[in-house]
Amino acid sequence: MSMVSALARVQAMESMTAVKVTAFRHRRLSDRPLVVIPLTMAGEAGAPLAAMVGSSKRNATLLVVAQPRNRDQRFAFAADLGELVTEYLNSFRQDRRGEGEKSRYSDAPQLLVPNTGGIKALADLARMCRFRSTTGPYAVADVVPEFGMWLTFLVERAEQAGTCLLLPVTGMLTEHWATGQSTLEDQNLASLMAWISPPPGTDVAQAMADAESPDICPPAGPTTSPQFDNRDLAPAIKRFDAAHTAGDTVALAAAQAELRELIAEQIQPTWRLMWDAISLLRSVPEAPRAAARFGRDCAAFTSYSDYRDGGGLPQRKRDTAIGAARRLDRLEQALVDFESDMAFDDPFVLADRRSVGEAFAGTVVDADPGRVVLSDSNRRVLRPRVTIRTDDPVRLAAGTKLVSPHMPDSHKARIVSVLPEGGTMLVTVEVTGGMGTPRTPKADGVPALDRHIAYLPDPGWRPAAEFPASDSTPWTHHSPAQVPDADATESENAAAEGWGHDD
Amino acid sequence: MNAPVDDRLTALRGSAQRRAYNARSLAALENNPRCTLRALLDASGSDKAAIAEHAGYPSAFGQSTFALARGNAFEALVKANGYAELLRVLRETLGLTVPEVGNRDLNDVGGDSRQEIRHTHTTRLLVKAAQGSGDSTLYDHPMLRLTVGGYAVFLEPDLVAFRADDRFYIVEIKSFPIIDGQADPVQVKSATTQACAYVIALRDMLRQAGIDPEAAVSDQIVLVAPKDFTNRPTAAFVDARKQVAALTRQLARLERIKDLVELLPEGLTFDLAPDGGQAQRPVEELTDALDQVDATYRPDCLNHCEMAFYCRARAREDASLDILGPEAREQFGGVDTATMVMGLARGELTPTADQSEMAIALRHAARLRAELDQAYRGAA
Repeated sequence: MSMVSALARVQAMESMTAVKVTAFRHRRLSDRPLVVIPLTMAGEAGAPLAAMVGSSKRNATLLVVAQPRNRDQRFAFAADLGELVTEYLNSFRQDRRGEGEKSRYSDAPQLLVPNTGGIKALADLARMCRFRSTTGPYAVADVVPEFGMWLTFLVERAEQAGTCLLLPVTGMLTEHWATGQSTLEDQNLASLMAWISPPPGTDVAQAMADAESPDICPPAGPTTSPQFDNRDLAPAIKRFDAAHTAGDTVALAAAQAELRELIAEQIQPTWRLMWDAISLLRSVPEAPRAAARFGRDCAAFTSYSDYRDGGGLPQRKRDTAIGAARRLDRLEQALVDFESDMAFDDPFVLADRRSVGEAFAGTVVDADPGRVVLSDSNRRVLRPRVTIRTDDPVRLAAGTKLVSPHMPDSHKARIVSVLPEGGTMLVTVEVTGGMGTPRTPKADGVPALDRHIAYLPDPGWRPAAEFPASDSTPWTHHSPAQVPDADATESENAAAEGWGHDD
Repeated sequence: MNAPVDDRLTALRGSAQRRAYNARSLAALENNPRCTLRALLDASGSDKAAIAEHAGYPSAFGQSTFALARGNAFEALVKANGYAELLRVLRETLGLTVPEVGNRDLNDVGGDSRQEIRHTHTTRLLVKAAQGSGDSTLYDHPMLRLTVGGYAVFLEPDLVAFRADDRFYIVEIKSFPIIDGQADPVQVKSATTQACAYVIALRDMLRQAGIDPEAAVSDQIVLVAPKDFTNRPTAAFVDARKQVAALTRQLARLERIKDLVELLPEGLTFDLAPDGGQAQRPVEELTDALDQVDATYRPDCLNHCEMAFYCRARAREDASLDILGPEAREQFGGVDTATMVMGLARGELTPTADQSEMAIALRHAARLRAELDQAYRGAA
């Protein structure tokens, strides 16, 4: 956290209202996002309890698993949810543009969950579904493994900075607003919304207190509140089980209806909050570079669609050494690019970097736009120099390559020197791109005297890292996965049957 | 030697029943060792949940019956038929040589379940085993003592210790899954915290019997948990060396309970019913008593301390930067409140020599934010 963002939090604390920390929304927000609120059963691994799904506020579907410990019911739920989600995903596979390698869908799906716990719940569900067999003794519906693989794709994509196929709404909100509470409390959607937009007639303090009361604001999941579990859910599930065992269809229907009603009451407040948050986020303008990042999301969506169409295998349980190195490299690069994109687009983010000396802004106090030097190949090249006076505590070294959000895209520069002078800094930069030639200098290629300008390091372009082929991995990186697992998939399947009714 | 301290602690707790250290108070100890209020409440065995509730800040903890049932069912499954499943994973999954010998449940001694008696019994058996003349391999529910702040407390015994290759291993049976060889790191950490306390306590016990503690108790903890989405247990070694070292260091550095108690005003108590009735103490009186003791609030406390809501409210009242958490707080070294930060940012306060460097950065940040506020006022 930089001094600027820490100060924003203190300001929020003092004024008791959320304060802006970006000028833009750096994520694309789909016109038709699919909101998914997953609920799981406490203490169980990947035992879904319910989900509310829909692509508009008025069009919610509630799916409930009456007995989450029952394997058949769990996979019936996975199939129902899978149908809804794959139908939504397929609706984005209509309009395809471009030829050959450039061919891609013009739009991409976007799943929104309340918090990072929601993503974890989907990751567990994905893992539970993607290896299931659609034939044999424990067959599941065709859509289940397909859904598992798609969900895995979305979850993995969500790990990458700057992507927007699957996002937690709390994350989107905290990117734009700082609250006067801790980042831990910001994970609670209701608390976060209490700071940003408290319900009419309620002040932030009251809204915060309400947000933490499970009776007023049930948790946004994935687990339900223990009070609700003990007071309402456990007896209702027991009644369902009793009716199920007795084969009493009337009682069974009644028990099912009761469960649905109970869970609907728990999930609906979060559903409304999700859509309130979405409309708040819509009111924030989208950052200019978000479109280019979205283009890469479309490309990833297209390529995975094609892979699925080709009957591709499910994603592996653990990465190989090479796969992991490749993934890490990709994630690191994406993070650097995203941070740089945000600072370039957004003066708030730029201010963050300026406060730690990773960028600077100031006034041009000296300019030599006509400076010409001899290049290594003995050609006369234009190398204008300008000096900028700044208050920022610049920590960039001579030679650092720079870009500027205030100059044309082709503008490139390099630091020549950074000298302190009477409480300020004088930074001399040499323009190395976008300035034209000695004969035809570009009019706007060099910042003019007295102009205010900001510079930040150029993340540059980096070729994709090269890794050895998987069959020539050094012995230090052989994974134990090559030893066959004692409990292979079939025993897992068999053991899963052991679930049933516990009591 | 503990006697006067004991008396003071008993007075603090008052009429309520004594609470033992449990997973949550151990986690609190590890995460916030410097909090005096926590140290005193835990050492005196006070019921923090009841106190917080009476003070008007009920804690949000509660365990879902589903989690409880699942935990118990899984533990029962692992221990069923003479620990058959536990032995299977120890042998098959971890490749340990566990000889086929008996097990001992140390839950009570001939019907007597008093802590002291069980502790003596545990000590006798475990020391004998460590000397190589024991008759068992698995010891369930051993009653151990941990020295916290120079004061010995009993640990809630819900673990198994077993011997393999002449060492004791601590087993934690947990019902969160290990999926594809990976478990949730947060849950693993809290499980190991508890196990670390046992490792330290067991080592202390053996040290006193003249046995080399490091050699006798492994700092590899055995985590037994469901495999993937099944009910079938699997096991993994968790290397707890670092955590054992960290907890040992914290325990050693901890202010001595004795010293803390001495600083307390005479007659201080957190008793909810000083007259023997039911929670009838005036709320104001209780909060006054609580306010006499320093608390070190951190947002993280919300995860493991019953008093967290109370302390948070107190920190909010003081506009303490503790509210924001360490990431934000560390930016403002030497300054404790939001009021002071804003005073320095606006130039209304003069920084002390220690604060001058931070104040320069703060004013710079404040200028940047002011420029932005002006440029973007009203927009979005």
